[in-house]
Amino acid sequence: MSTTTTTGWPHRLQSRMLSWEGLLGAFAIALIVTAAITTPGFSDGYNLGSSVARMAAKALMVLPLVFLIIAREIDISVASTAGLAGIAFGLTVQSGGSTLAAVAVALAVGLACGALNGFFAAVLGLPSLVVTLGTLALFRGLCYVLVGGTPISNMPPEIISLGNDSILGTYIPAAIVPFLLLAPVFYIVLHKTPFGRRVFAIGGNPGTASYSGIRKSRIVFQLFVTSGLVAALAGIIHVGITSSAAPDGAIGYELDVVTVVFLGGVSFLGGKGKMTGVFWALVVVIAIRSMLQLQNFGAYGQAAVVGLVLIVSLLMANIVNRTSAMLASRRTRAQKLGNPAPEPAAIVLPTK
Amino acid sequence: MRTPARAALSGLAVLSLASLALTACTPSGGTAASGGGSCTPKDNITVGYIPKLGDDPYMTTVRDGAQKAATELGGTNKVVYTSPSEATGSAQIPFVQQLISQKVDVIAISGSDLNGAAAELKKAQAQAIKVITFDSDVAPDARSLFINQAKTDELGTGMLDSMSNLLGGTGEFAILSSTQTAVNQNAWIADIKKRLGSEAKFSGMKLVDVVYGEEKADVSANRAKELVTTHPNLKGIIVPAGISLPAAATALDEIGALGKVKLTGLAPASLIKKQIQTGNVQDIWWNVTDLGYLSFYAAKAAASCTVTGKAGEKFDAGKLGSYTVGDEKTVILGPAKIVTTANVNEFAF
Repeated sequence: MSTTTTTGWPHRLQSRMLSWEGLLGAFAIALIVTAAITTPGFSDGYNLGSSVARMAAKALMVLPLVFLIIAREIDISVASTAGLAGIAFGLTVQSGGSTLAAVAVALAVGLACGALNGFFAAVLGLPSLVVTLGTLALFRGLCYVLVGGTPISNMPPEIISLGNDSILGTYIPAAIVPFLLLAPVFYIVLHKTPFGRRVFAIGGNPGTASYSGIRKSRIVFQLFVTSGLVAALAGIIHVGITSSAAPDGAIGYELDVVTVVFLGGVSFLGGKGKMTGVFWALVVVIAIRSMLQLQNFGAYGQAAVVGLVLIVSLLMANIVNRTSAMLASRRTRAQKLGNPAPEPAAIVLPTK
Repeated sequence: MRTPARAALSGLAVLSLASLALTACTPSGGTAASGGGSCTPKDNITVGYIPKLGDDPYMTTVRDGAQKAATELGGTNKVVYTSPSEATGSAQIPFVQQLISQKVDVIAISGSDLNGAAAELKKAQAQAIKVITFDSDVAPDARSLFINQAKTDELGTGMLDSMSNLLGGTGEFAILSSTQTAVNQNAWIADIKKRLGSEAKFSGMKLVDVVYGEEKADVSANRAKELVTTHPNLKGIIVPAGISLPAAATALDEIGALGKVKLTGLAPASLIKKQIQTGNVQDIWWNVTDLGYLSFYAAKAAASCTVTGKAGEKFDAGKLGSYTVGDEKTVILGPAKIVTTANVNEFAF
């Protein structure tokens, strides 16, 4: 039984509304309504579908990053890993390999990239921001070393279909399907399993976590490997969308990926975050980008806006979390007189 | 009970809700316009331009030319100019999608690569949007017309004619090319050598050296200076490379050799306007404003269903006159011009 259930539903609704996820959800809906009214073409089925498709590769890379940031780590090399996996895919196809073989090679490359990050960050304990900044440049550099500046074309038709087709009779892009399949899995693992609880524990208080027998370096290593694998999958989808394996494939995607995670309310201090918030953040970023695109914003302008959203989300998430924690502690104080209120930064283990 | 679980489920519901919203609509263009066979003529048109890079001066000059044509045609003819920030086909995809959503009548694109945006352009065609390319082509099955600035093989001819003109038909000259493997440049050099050997009017001219500027301004400048010192009788250099010609012109100007040695080649005329005005430098170039102007008229012809890409089809291009579609659904702006003191002011780029 969690403490929230002891209060009545009006309270629950209130606290949910005041939570970051609640505010973000309201904002997302308001944004979509505004865009539909003010931006011609926004609510068009084709536009919604293609806006979602543009986010498909990024959305995948978000999933493992949520875990990493909750565990006080980060992987900013995801876009470069996706690029390198795409090149591996392209080279395998070019040398006569089957699509299945190419997928396997690409995933293996992603796994290796993740393992390399994991080795430095988890086994050697180096700061992951710096490690993955290094591998961001390393993996991207390898792309160019392997193929030079020219994209590999003549990709297999089934991959091009994955990147460009819609599910029969709808505007749902096939490219988003892998995300739709993986998202519930990541949700359940994070919020419903001992593994997820350990990830929260590591981020909430690494010292306590290790004293309670959690093998931090092993879990963090697994998270980096997962990040590499999923990034490789994103890379394959990107190859499909662009019908070619380009050395600059998915370049710069880390901006949107990191923005979605922080906008989703995952704490940069680790230990806190909810997949729900992250899903809403995805909706917000898709809507913002789609709106800007239809307003004929250039790519630089869009990147500037997303960068701004990143900064504002860090600020806002901080303020809102503090406020709601303050309100909560006041309530608790009122209920249990004499008992000290929990600190806002305390570990929040998910209630059953 | 278990509120977090419910909160989470509602979160997942967000995604499925969005999906449902998408399912609710039935795609319209996908099936209806699968063949380019049916064509509904349109009078006033909106043409969406997708350059390789939004802030490239070459591309903004094209845009200005297109705008000129739209203004001239009056009505509600309109240019929408978009701005990718990376010169890759994949970076152009969101802009293709934008223009499809905005239901423009024609998309005019300068392909950053052949295939990156091709699949998306085919979707545009399926929605009855005409696709034309200018400056740089995409996969031919993804567009109905390619507006090419000049026939590639004619440029070599123009450069040798220009050199002969500068030298008065006699003297030694050299070639400062881009790289040893550059396909276009090597074809032009082969063509120049062939014509030197076979045509009587070039009998007084002698090609003494071919060197390479490696697509770098500093290397090109040094190679130009070396040519002048190693060949004391050198009268001219042909520089068929956009980076090398301005570099060579500046370098020879600095050491006072420009005049004794004359230059011609291929580069944006505006970059060497000063040297062209001295009469010692000529240039083979085309009018980039006209390229934009022609592209808008070609878009108009495609949208009005009078031009489908078959060889021999004709269309009107305002002040530029009438144009005919050639092989491979290509329209050529015209023979490249020799830019001299007399006409350098016509070239905005």
